[in-house]
Formats: sequence, structure tokens, C-alpha cells
Amino acid sequence: MIIPALIVAFWFMATRGGTALVPSPEQVMRVLLSPGSDIASCGSLFWNIFVSLSRVVTGLLAAILIGTPVGFLMGAHRLSRRLLFLVTEMARPLSPLALLPFSIIVFRDTTLTKVLGLTELRYSRHLFNEIQLGMVFILLWGAVFPIILDTMHGVRSIRKRHLEVAKVSGAGRWFTFLHVMVPASLPDILAGYRMAVGRCWMVIIAAEMLPGTNSGIGYLLRYSYQISRYDVMAACVIVIALVGALFAKGLADMGEARLLLRAEER
Amino acid sequence: MGAGIVIKGLEKHFFEKDAGLHALGPVSLTVQPGEFLCLLGPTGCGKTTLLRILAGLETPSSGSVDFGGSVSPGRIGYVFQEGALFPWLTALDNVAFPLRAEGASRGDARARAGTVLRDVGLEGFEGSYPHQLSGGMRQRVALARGIASNPDILLLDEPFSSVDTRMSHLLQNRMRELAEGLSSTVVFVTHNIEEAVFLGHRICVMGARPGRIVRDEAIPLKGERKRLSAGFTEILLSFRRTFEEQVAPV
Repeated sequence: MIIPALIVAFWFMATRGGTALVPSPEQVMRVLLSPGSDIASCGSLFWNIFVSLSRVVTGLLAAILIGTPVGFLMGAHRLSRRLLFLVTEMARPLSPLALLPFSIIVFRDTTLTKVLGLTELRYSRHLFNEIQLGMVFILLWGAVFPIILDTMHGVRSIRKRHLEVAKVSGAGRWFTFLHVMVPASLPDILAGYRMAVGRCWMVIIAAEMLPGTNSGIGYLLRYSYQISRYDVMAACVIVIALVGALFAKGLADMGEARLLLRAEER
Repeated sequence: MGAGIVIKGLEKHFFEKDAGLHALGPVSLTVQPGEFLCLLGPTGCGKTTLLRILAGLETPSSGSVDFGGSVSPGRIGYVFQEGALFPWLTALDNVAFPLRAEGASRGDARARAGTVLRDVGLEGFEGSYPHQLSGGMRQRVALARGIASNPDILLLDEPFSSVDTRMSHLLQNRMRELAEGLSSTVVFVTHNIEEAVFLGHRICVMGARPGRIVRDEAIPLKGERKRLSAGFTEILLSFRRTFEEQVAPV
């Protein structure tokens, strides 16, 4: 707690005389303390955080829904692993941001509103209008590979003994899957999800700063830079850091306590 | 009621790259319903392989196993050498696992599992996870899991070899009490001669490379067995001689 306090104190002293480039702590706090009010007709701070988070949640859900079954398949089935491993290993290092222009061309202005057929929402200010499939696609790209690889690793490291116990107990395939394979690989699967959440948050901020959208905390950050609202810029950076830290903390609490302890001796 | 086991000309070869290993057989053996048979032999004599074939975990290269009727996989109890308990389940749910696999409801399975845990002396540890239990307690949970479904055939692979002598004596005493209460046919694999003489109605001593039965004899001791009695030690010595011949042939 001492070091952050010192930094704030230094910041306070340094901006005392008032400079054009560096906003003072009071100015930034003023932005942070009224998160509901509109900023430069871009919507409020709160709205933009909400948009960014919704994109992350959508992309992450898509990645979980696709990545987990694929990871299970690759872990349990040798031929699938051979076929898919090379593909995932080639695709994985490709930065999702590099795919953004391509993704915008392919998906154009398709949003969740259009996909769900909610045409009546089209011209209102609704969250679904802000969730572009192009954004969801690159989030999916960023998140799906850690999920696939960790799930595969989890399934492959299931102890043969445990499967044999299920077999001699007369357990069917479905029972074995549900009561042995899933719990045995769960710690690894959750580790993959954790990794994916962190990556999604990194990717969405950068992606929102690039062409393709005009909402989200990343967009607000870039726009405030363009119109020289450095107080808003600083507020955005603080919010992004806070949300990232909350993600890390929440996910750590979710997995660690019970699951990892039990995974110790498998 | 326990089922009989008829084993005919059972053989097992393992092939790895170009080297083949003749692990077992041919072995022929008949186990009576309700009998407690100990398979005694030195490490690497194929006794675990034989047990795994009986459990359906390994397919024989040739020969056959007949349980004299229909014994489905769920009617076999198997206790592994190192517990192989599920670390994410409590002691109670570990024991309930084979019952649930057979299709029992969660409530029924847990009620039965609780009874069996009491039988092995683990009352009060139902909610403990395996890593919270000592080695001897974990083996008792594994034993309880093996007998929970009151199987027709109970197969045990050196279940007490990883605990100290004192604990293994206690577990052997418990095993005897339990075996009397069960109707199962038991095949108990061990390399511990005293354990085999203490527990078995009958002992088959196995020799190695390839695994085969070199001595097959009923134990004439009836009722309570005392480890220090003259009759017990005499039989022990006799089997020790056979065992030593197998370990270092002269």
C-alpha cells in the first residue's frame, strides 16, 4: 500500500502548478466519481465498461463452448489429436489483433442484434448493437487455444488407474465421462479458462482502439487522446487496470481453494 | 452368492517394440464359490497380470476364464495396490462410486457406503478427502469400495503392501472378519507369505518367467488363526521354502 500511495503523492505534487499535458489527480477523480455522465457524446464511463465487458463475456462463452469439447476430443481420441494438434499449433501464435481487419471485412457490421433477428432494436441505444461479430471472432481466437490446450492436457493426464476403477465398477461411458473424466481434468480446464479471461481483456482493449467500433473502454481511451481529454484518458487506464485486477482475483478465488488442493495428489 | 472361477490354459504375452515377454502361463485353476484363494509369488511372477485378466482389464493372449454363469463387470470388486481413490471425492462418495455406477440412487448408495465404512472402522471419516487420511485409512477406504456392492468376486492386488507391519496386521485381521461376513469368492494377490497363510483357505504359489503355479494347497487351519502358534509357523516355513526356491532357484 505504501508504494501506490507514494506514486499518488508524487503525481499530486508534480501537477500542482497545473500543466496542459498531465491531468491532476483531482481532475481524474472527478471523471471517476461521476461514471454515469456522458463524456464527449461517447456515452458514460460506465456504459463503455459495460460494452467492453459484454464483448468479453460473449467471446469467452463462444470460446468455452467450442474449446472445451474440442479439447476433450483431442485429449481422449488419438486420431483427432493428430489431426487437430498441428492446426492449433499453427493457428495459436497468430495474434488475434492481426485478424481484426480481416474479421471486419468478413463480418462487416453484423451485430448480435442482427444475428438474433431483433430488428426493432436496430436504431436504439442497445447493448446488442455494440456486440459486433468481428470483435467476438477475434476474442474467440484469442481465448480458444489456451482452453483447447489446457483441456486436452487435463484429459490426457487423467490417471489410467481411475479409468480402470470405473471400468471394473461397471460404469458406462457417460457415467465415466461425467464422474471421472470431467472432475479429474477440471483443475486444468479452469486454468485454461483463467488464462482465456486475461487474454480476452488484453485483446478487447487493443481491438477497441483500432478501427471497427465506436464504443467500449478502449475506444473511449483512444478518442479522449484524440480530443486531448487527458483526464478521461487517465481515468480509462485506471479502470482498465482495476477490472483486470478484479478478474485475476475473482478467478483465483474460484479455482484455487478446493480444486487445486485436490488435484495435488492425482 | 459367490461365483466359481474356472481358468483354462491362460497365457499372456506382452509385445513391446521387438522384445516380447511371456508374462503368464499357461495357467489352469479352479476356484470354488466362496473360497478365499491367495496367489503368492515374488515380484514379476505375473500374479497381477492374472488378476487383471480376471477383472477384464487385460485380455489374455490365449485361454479362457469362466465364472460359471453370468458375472457382469459390476459384480466384481477390485482393490488396487495403491488405493487409486478419487481425490475429488470424499471417503463416503469414493465408497459409493461403484454403487452409483451400477445405477443406485445417490441416497441409497451413500447409506450403503456409510455402513461399509463403519465395517472397516472408519466411522467419522465419511466427509474426509483422501489426502486428509493416512495411508492405512486410505487402504481401508479402497477395501470398502471393493466390497461395497457385495460383489460375487472380490479381487485384491497387494492391498496392504504399502503400510507398515503393525497396520498390515490390523488390516489382515479386519479382512478376515469381513471375508467371513461376505459371500464373495476372493482372490487375494500378495508377496507376503505370512499374509497369505493368515488369510487364505488355499494358497497358490507362483513362479516367474513365465508366471505359473508351482504349488497349490489348502491351508488346514480352521477357525481363529494365531500368528505365533506352532501349526501356523510350521505352514509358514513350508511355504517359505517353496517361495525361496522360486526367488533363487538352486
